Amino acid sequence: MSDLRLMWRNTRMVVLCAISAALYAAVLVPFKVVPLIPGVTELRPANAIPVVCSFLFGPAAAWGSAIGNMIGDFFGGVSPGDIFGFFANLAYGWIPYKVWELIGRGQSPISRSPLGILKYVIACLAASVLCADLVGWADNVLVIRPFAMLGNVIIFNNMVSALVLSPFILAAVYPRVKKGRMLYTDVMPEVKLKPVGIRASGFALLIAGEGGAWIFGNLLSTGYWAPKFLPAWMIVAPYDKPVLIIVGPFILLAFAGLFMM
Amino acid sequence: MKIDGQIFSVFSVNPNQHAVSVQGVTFTYHGAERPALRAVSFVQSAGEMIGVMGASGAGKSTLAKCLNRIIPEFEDGDFRGTVRIAGEPLEHLRVCDVAPKVGMVFQDFESQLFSTNVAHEVAFAMEQVGMDRAEMDRRIIPALEAVGLRGFDHRDPMSLSGGEKQRLAIASVLALRPSVIVLDEPTTDLDPEGRAEVFELIAKLRAQGLSLIVIEHESEELRAADRIMVLREGEIAADGPPSEVFARTDLLMGCGVRPPGLGHALKLLGIDAQPESVAHAYDAIVRAYPHLTATLVDNLADSRAPEHPTIAENASIGSAFMAIEDVTFSYADGPRVLDSIDLRVEAGDFIAIVGQNGSGKTTLAKQIVGLLQPATGRVIIEGKDRAQMRPAETAREVAYVFQNPDHQIFAATVQEEVAFGPRNFGLADDEIRRRCDEALEAVGLQNERQSDPFLLSKGERQRLAVASVLVLRPRMLILDEPTTGLDHREQLRMMALVRDLNRAGIAIVIITHTPWLVAEYARRVVLLRKGAKIFDGGVREFFMQDELLRSSSFRAPEITELSRRFGTLALTTDEFVAWVKGRA
Amino acid sequence: MPIYLYIDRGTFVHRLHPTVKVFALFIMFWSVYWVDNPLALAPVGLVMLWIAQLTDSWPNFYRLRWFFAILVFSTTIAWMVFYRRGAVLVNVPIFHVSRLSLIFGIGRGIKLAELLAASVLFLSTTKIEEFTYGLQRMRVPYRVGFAISLSFRLVPLFIDSAVTIVDAQRLRGYDFNQGGPLERVRRYVPVVIPVFMGALRKANNMAMALEARGFGFSHEPTTFIDYPVTVADILAFAFLIALGTLSFMLYWTGLGGIGPLK
Repeated sequence: MSDLRLMWRNTRMVVLCAISAALYAAVLVPFKVVPLIPGVTELRPANAIPVVCSFLFGPAAAWGSAIGNMIGDFFGGVSPGDIFGFFANLAYGWIPYKVWELIGRGQSPISRSPLGILKYVIACLAASVLCADLVGWADNVLVIRPFAMLGNVIIFNNMVSALVLSPFILAAVYPRVKKGRMLYTDVMPEVKLKPVGIRASGFALLIAGEGGAWIFGNLLSTGYWAPKFLPAWMIVAPYDKPVLIIVGPFILLAFAGLFMM
Repeated sequence: MKIDGQIFSVFSVNPNQHAVSVQGVTFTYHGAERPALRAVSFVQSAGEMIGVMGASGAGKSTLAKCLNRIIPEFEDGDFRGTVRIAGEPLEHLRVCDVAPKVGMVFQDFESQLFSTNVAHEVAFAMEQVGMDRAEMDRRIIPALEAVGLRGFDHRDPMSLSGGEKQRLAIASVLALRPSVIVLDEPTTDLDPEGRAEVFELIAKLRAQGLSLIVIEHESEELRAADRIMVLREGEIAADGPPSEVFARTDLLMGCGVRPPGLGHALKLLGIDAQPESVAHAYDAIVRAYPHLTATLVDNLADSRAPEHPTIAENASIGSAFMAIEDVTFSYADGPRVLDSIDLRVEAGDFIAIVGQNGSGKTTLAKQIVGLLQPATGRVIIEGKDRAQMRPAETAREVAYVFQNPDHQIFAATVQEEVAFGPRNFGLADDEIRRRCDEALEAVGLQNERQSDPFLLSKGERQRLAVASVLVLRPRMLILDEPTTGLDHREQLRMMALVRDLNRAGIAIVIITHTPWLVAEYARRVVLLRKGAKIFDGGVREFFMQDELLRSSSFRAPEITELSRRFGTLALTTDEFVAWVKGRA
Repeated sequence: MPIYLYIDRGTFVHRLHPTVKVFALFIMFWSVYWVDNPLALAPVGLVMLWIAQLTDSWPNFYRLRWFFAILVFSTTIAWMVFYRRGAVLVNVPIFHVSRLSLIFGIGRGIKLAELLAASVLFLSTTKIEEFTYGLQRMRVPYRVGFAISLSFRLVPLFIDSAVTIVDAQRLRGYDFNQGGPLERVRRYVPVVIPVFMGALRKANNMAMALEARGFGFSHEPTTFIDYPVTVADILAFAFLIALGTLSFMLYWTGLGGIGPLK
């Protein structure tokens, strides 16, 4: 957590945050989508940007991702769910570098070894799922769109960009940013990592929380699972209350884990 | 631009104190092998204006950054020495603490404007230092007035012209009332009008007693400075009044600085004087070569004989490589950007397209390459209607080099960057390799094949951009402002390349604002005004159109103006000197 | 291409205090939230149409017409899959088509369209500086607000450079529309990299220019921008309170529901 707060003291990080945000929005706005199923799911090349920025600019990218998404909303209109979209995108830009600090062990994120690729996928997946959980949860609770639809579409979109586009951009940009000493570790050398034990436990909580939220979000919002311990009047479409009560704590757990990392 | 009377009388200028004192400053960037500045020492008196010159990488910007603690506070590296502002050492101060003492204006004006309206931009620095609103209100109008932007208060800074943006940046620095202002290449990215505006402002600030340090490439602009300091490889190579420093033309050229054309000409003529204007130079030459004026009438007759026949006049219909026929164009809902333009380009032409900003130069180029489609009229390339060709097809006939090379470079190596084009056309690997070799050889980058293009110098990146379209073997090359942001040495190198390509048979069209480029390299000039072509002819003929030049804010090079006083028309210093000597 | 939705018209809505505008957006969301019935959503909708007329925001609605259509359509369809209640009218695989699911789905679609419309109105009449001013009033730290407003300013700059880069690569024979969907995403690489590197070159210059202007001198900089509160603000505020109360009353009395749901 401390780096998310500390970065605001550093002028370069403030600028990098604005740059990450503007890049995200700038690709979001004109190259909005390649529709796969119109109105339901699309490929957003822009979703590659927060992941790339995360590995480069760390906490600045986390805030940048949140702000960039907000600017994108400003272009196309906002909804109450966007308050959660802000935090969901914060997580999307926050998780990749946090997870990488733990499992990457000082490796560069552009390593092409099978293990390196696997770790990269894990970092991106961890980010995509929590982002999707939060938006899906909020939209289902506010009865805007069901979790099972939005949540999965977001994971799919994010992962496609993170796997198809980000690695190419990262491979081109990472070495140059490193050479220019603009990586967040160079810009803010004062930030110290927490003990590895705490970070590992945090990671475990993150995975458990977001995994649980995703599974139960899907089961509940489709009506596939009707928990016996809830009163029957709650368990009716659009299932906003079961999703609120059961998925909510898992998301909190995931964030708690994230704060520990 | 109108700049009003004395506004900043409040500067605390103590004539007995040095405004700036730099003692033994050495700085090495993190990871660099050699220092960017080496034991630099100088003092600046209050109210003095120092012009700093030198090639790219000579240490000019590094020096500027040392004056407000960006070095060593912001840039990593090894710093030694002392900098004092108005007698006070800067050690232990942060960059922001120095802001009220030293104002800094950078080349990239877009990176130094942060607000959504002009008045707020001026207030920005005052907000940062915690000034109260009443005081800000008192200072904003005078600051805007000082830079001639009064009445722009509510405009969006992004909607201003380049010159206005840079003046706004200066206003926001002025509002803090610093005693020293450092301007790091403030006009490099500006068009001639913008440059004139900024230099007029600089003269005004100087008249009000501000201490100024101005980094600049063009020596003509710095003739009014009190002192010129030339840097070479991190050291001061020369420091003295302009008349002295500019007279050392060999030294200047050795430092990658273009000596003022007039002074250079006088020196070649064996006249020991540093002229401040064309009139001065004229007087000096007349004193040394009194008989020149006696033959004025003969001279005039000479100059009318065109030395290069203008291709436009001789062209026969049907032989043009590329022809624009009655093309009209406007952007959505906008006014006409191109108005019934006709233009023919022959194989082997070398054309300069000139005109004020917004006259339609770039739009015209985009019409030729097919990035825009004409509303009426057509573009013919090699007898084919361009409307029937895809942009990719056009690209093999006509290549376009964008103003900023960074708008296309993306590959990991120079070789791959150049190979990108031919790969898109599905050429065989052998063929691609052969063409890349040829293109890289042509631009002098054959030894950089495996280099990272992003780490090349600006001049090298510009040449790489040329190579990456040259590799498609086009028969015509359009270059948009190919020398912007390059130092003199790199400019010469770039233009030598363009001339060689032209000699090899490629038709060249350059879009430029720079008079001496037109004079020295082009053979034909096309002048646009408000989307209409108002001149198309030979270079000499162009520079004789006083009225046309004046109304388009385009000036002939000083040497050309000087030669015209003698009734001849020389395009280059050498040509003029040869002419004078020929009459001696 | 104008990127943001702001339309400079100088109507009294444009001149309202930023805080009132942010509050208005909140009240619109609030009012839409509490009612589900397509009919009960009508009053808020009418108010919005009235404001759109008043502020001359129609160009933005026109610009986003497809977005609105897709939003309503996809939301209705989605709920007809997930809202499995009421007697089935027509048997369609996967979908559950009943009177109830239709009303619910269409209601949700309209609701979402109204939420979007509210934000379009807000954005059509609110400048970025008013928005960041509003954030500061809401105690968002100075530097966060600054980063937000700087990002807004940079977006058009980056879009411009992206558009130029697309042109430059096309002139080197590059075809952006080749291949299937995945390949087409990947084909943005030669655009994104130069945009990225250009942005990075700017980043350092910008940070330097900021510090050279005193950024960091004081922890809480003063502000030059000031918006006086006028009578119109107070009237607008009262109107919004009334609208919000009305909507909540619709929910409370059950008039705004769709029957069996509440």
